[in-house]
Amino acid sequence: MIFRSVEDADLISRVRKGDVEAFNLLVSRWEKRVFNYLLRLTGNPDDSLDLSQDVFLKAYQNIRKLDDTARFGPWLFRIAHNETYSHFRKRRPEVDNGDETLIEREPARGPAPDLTIAVTAALDRLTPEQREAVVLKVYEGFKFDEMAQILGTPVSTIKSRLYTALDLLKTELAPTNTRSIR
Amino acid sequence: MSTCDRAEALRDYAFDELPASERTGMEQHIAVCGDCAAELDQLRVTTAVLRVLPDREIPQRIAFVSDKVFQPSALSRFFGGFWNSAARLGFASACVLAAALIVSAYHRPAPVLAQREIRTVAQTADVSKQINDAVAKAVAQVHQEDTRLFAASEIRHDKEHQALMDAVNVLQARSNYQITTSAEGQ
Repeated sequence: MIFRSVEDADLISRVRKGDVEAFNLLVSRWEKRVFNYLLRLTGNPDDSLDLSQDVFLKAYQNIRKLDDTARFGPWLFRIAHNETYSHFRKRRPEVDNGDETLIEREPARGPAPDLTIAVTAALDRLTPEQREAVVLKVYEGFKFDEMAQILGTPVSTIKSRLYTALDLLKTELAPTNTRSIR
Repeated sequence: MSTCDRAEALRDYAFDELPASERTGMEQHIAVCGDCAAELDQLRVTTAVLRVLPDREIPQRIAFVSDKVFQPSALSRFFGGFWNSAARLGFASACVLAAALIVSAYHRPAPVLAQREIRTVAQTADVSKQINDAVAKAVAQVHQEDTRLFAASEIRHDKEHQALMDAVNVLQARSNYQITTSAEGQ
């Protein structure tokens, strides 16, 4: 991770000098993670792809505003977070009232459809804030301080959202746990 | 959910967010606390189940081309590079220094300028004095010369007057002699 950060920092300095190819290298490193983060928040692959394009375009346009190049990842995900909520507001104003779960989600494809459908359904029952906390921690592996930077929220709030979500998921997935372990 | 008072620290431990100094203590606690051991197992199983949701491949690669539309202008690259370089500090320092000099210049007379003015005034006064001295000296010399010439003229005039009087006396004496001689001859 340290080497990765150093290399990202080197690429960022090249991008700042106008090297578009260096930015394409950055994109190739991060596009899958950003796309899957957006997919888990929106549930729609087409929207997630469009949003990914927007995220990287904004990142390119604003890369000089990035103070700490070692924290490119959280900075990029902060843009993705903002783009997602802007997209929610444009698409469905009621999302701000916590009705984002009404958006129809495409079940994730994987080796065990029943389990992936159960997990997708359990995640859908969370509030958008709880789901985002789970996605950033469990799927993207960010630290709490990085999540605070991405979400613009105190660490204590993030921990509260995450641990409440995990309690709910534990209950939702309990039968699935038993089935899958067996 | 564990009812143990260390439940939150246990969750931090499960996500590798507990400070290294507290990890050993937590591991010792888990070994003796059945609630926390069960909670840790539940958390690990739940996160493991969540992770079965696979990452999907991005359906279309995102790429940027060297398009002028996407590139910052040469001007903004210059300024961007400038403001992100060491020159920023130097330029900012120069600006602050310049601002300080301008403010200082507006609010009080610059000492160097005042000295120069004083020096100019002093120099002017010095030159005037020199001129006055020179003029006075010249006037004194002229006056002295005039006095000398006047005195010499007086002396010469006295001498000429004396010579003239001597001549008159000689002529008078000669005339008296001729008159006397003539009277005696008659």
